Amino acid sequence: MAQSVYAAITGRYDYLINEENDVSETLNREGLLKAYRTMRTIREFEERVHNDFATGEIPGFVHLYAGEEASATGVCMHLNGDDYIASTHRGHGHCIAKGVDPIGMMAEIWGKKTGSCKGKGGSMHIADLAKGMLGANGIVGGGGPLICGTALASKIKGDKTVGVCFFGDGASNQGTILEAMNLATVWNLPTVFVAENNGYAETTSSSWSVACDNIADRASAFGMPGVIVDGFDFFAVYEAAEEAIKRAREGGGPTLIEVKVSRYYGHFEGDQQTYRASGEVQKLREEKDCLLQFRRRVTSNGIADADLDAIDEQVLALIEDSVVRAKADPKPSTEDLLTDVYVSY
Amino acid sequence: MENEWTLLMIKNSDITVGVIANPASGRDIRRLTAKASVVSITEKANMVQRLLGPLGALGVGRVLMMPDTTGIAAAVRRAVENNQARGRMSWPELVFLDQDLFGGPEDSQTAARLMADVGVRIIVILGGDGTHRVVASSVPDMPLATLSTGTNNVFPDWRESTVTGIATALHATGRVGRDITLRPNKQLRVVLDEREEIALVDACVTRLSHIGARAVWNPETISELFVCFAEADSIGLSSIAAMMEPISRDEPRGAYLRCATDGRQVMAPIAPGVLEPVAVGHFEIMQPDIPYPVYSGHGSIALDGEREIEFRPGQHPEVSLELNGPATLDVPATISAAVESGLMVGWSEQQMSG
Repeated sequence: MAQSVYAAITGRYDYLINEENDVSETLNREGLLKAYRTMRTIREFEERVHNDFATGEIPGFVHLYAGEEASATGVCMHLNGDDYIASTHRGHGHCIAKGVDPIGMMAEIWGKKTGSCKGKGGSMHIADLAKGMLGANGIVGGGGPLICGTALASKIKGDKTVGVCFFGDGASNQGTILEAMNLATVWNLPTVFVAENNGYAETTSSSWSVACDNIADRASAFGMPGVIVDGFDFFAVYEAAEEAIKRAREGGGPTLIEVKVSRYYGHFEGDQQTYRASGEVQKLREEKDCLLQFRRRVTSNGIADADLDAIDEQVLALIEDSVVRAKADPKPSTEDLLTDVYVSY
Repeated sequence: MENEWTLLMIKNSDITVGVIANPASGRDIRRLTAKASVVSITEKANMVQRLLGPLGALGVGRVLMMPDTTGIAAAVRRAVENNQARGRMSWPELVFLDQDLFGGPEDSQTAARLMADVGVRIIVILGGDGTHRVVASSVPDMPLATLSTGTNNVFPDWRESTVTGIATALHATGRVGRDITLRPNKQLRVVLDEREEIALVDACVTRLSHIGARAVWNPETISELFVCFAEADSIGLSSIAAMMEPISRDEPRGAYLRCATDGRQVMAPIAPGVLEPVAVGHFEIMQPDIPYPVYSGHGSIALDGEREIEFRPGQHPEVSLELNGPATLDVPATISAAVESGLMVGWSEQQMSG
């Protein structure tokens, strides 16, 4: 519509042939708003957990995903409910992007019976198999073998589902990930390995600890394509993931995508981050932030600021609700200790 | 002859050459969509080392190099230290630039400017079309020795870096004159409001609204194409024009084409491993120094294969062909001239090491 108006004004009919100008076939207005809602939900969720953790009410450890939202969102936008993902310590963003209910997640983090895992897992073990989320993972590099398992099942059953393994730069140096990439190629599994390189394995700079030094370079050793994308740019992640997931679904085998990104908070909450330059995060928030970039680019392309503002308000209300509920909900009982375990007592 | 060379090496030890090895080149989505080649960080570091031997042996005293956080600089530094420890002193002094790194194209641009400030005679670039473009836009008057480590091998040379090192040294030391060593290039200038960018091979208007994963790999997304040159054996977007009417690197004209669904189907290798028909509705020769308007109402413009500029309705980008692009090192002509004047004969092993 906008196109034909433009043609009428400028008289430039000669190029405007019967084709829709669009970002891609799948990313229409609805898709753009969905992407924004997902990224905004992750951000608000993490900012809220950051604030609440400081009060000491949340048990255990939390590892926040703020800053990396475009990665989980750009990848998971292409996944269906029956596709699987394996996650990391830093799993909240992957959960939300894969469709896990933020209210259950918040309750889980607060250790409540209403949580995604009945309050027994906490931040690092949030899982929701019904949503295809195999779980955040306490094992660095633990997701690779899991995703090879679901992908092998998919291949045997022929159900055209795909498994995505998210892992970090620290995990990229773990044997499990390298073994999984080898296996994925040998068995030609429908997998995508997404290396979220946020620059630090806990406190160790990846430019020091990752030999060779782009994680994507390792792909060629396993005979799979390896690409690097800017993790602050939703569209960059989205396009690369679209190709990789399509390739996997069609039987083309595994792909490694290295997402260059940064986390806004410490490795875990409480990390003093003495290994980072002062002002590093501030600069990123002001200049590269995925939500700011996304807003700037889509509002110059037909979506109104008001549309995005409305999503901001809805998301804020959702997260507030999740915290109010989480605080009020009951803790697991003593009897709950003996359920959901391998051995019956 | 021998004495002349020895003297040259001592007298010209302050002769400096720059080296920019882009750690990010050759990593984009075309690895996934088009089986494009990968030049690893390790190989890039090896290529730099293979440059240093001939540079040192032929009288270049110092190499200024861009640092990086991905391991190229670190590997080269280790090699230099090992070389010194083993008593092999023929490499030039290697100095890393003191610059803040941001992990993007600005790193190469900053490095190029710092090198120009110091007065390097030439900059050797390891990268793809994109890397060469950002360096050329940063230091337009600086001669460039080109080595391809990127996706499309259209602007830079695919060449063994040892050989490029020989020609680089012959140029930097003045043993072969600039009239022979350097070859002129054309460039495209893309203007959008206040913004100006250059392209060294092609500027492609796409229907994709966003920069996204940058590369252009689907022919259906292409709406218009401007090319400086389009050689019949080229790869990448410029091949579309090449398959209709090749344009050499030297002739003072370019080409412009516009896609249309009912146009002629042109078979072109628009990406490595991809030969697909592109429907072209209009083709014309581009004359220099005339601004050509972009016809599409909105979309993005890929410079040398990578989407860099987004534009929306109401914005009117223009593209001009310029004949005064960056000068690049003509490796075969340079070495041939050295051979013809007897420069490469008469060396003894003793003199090489001494």
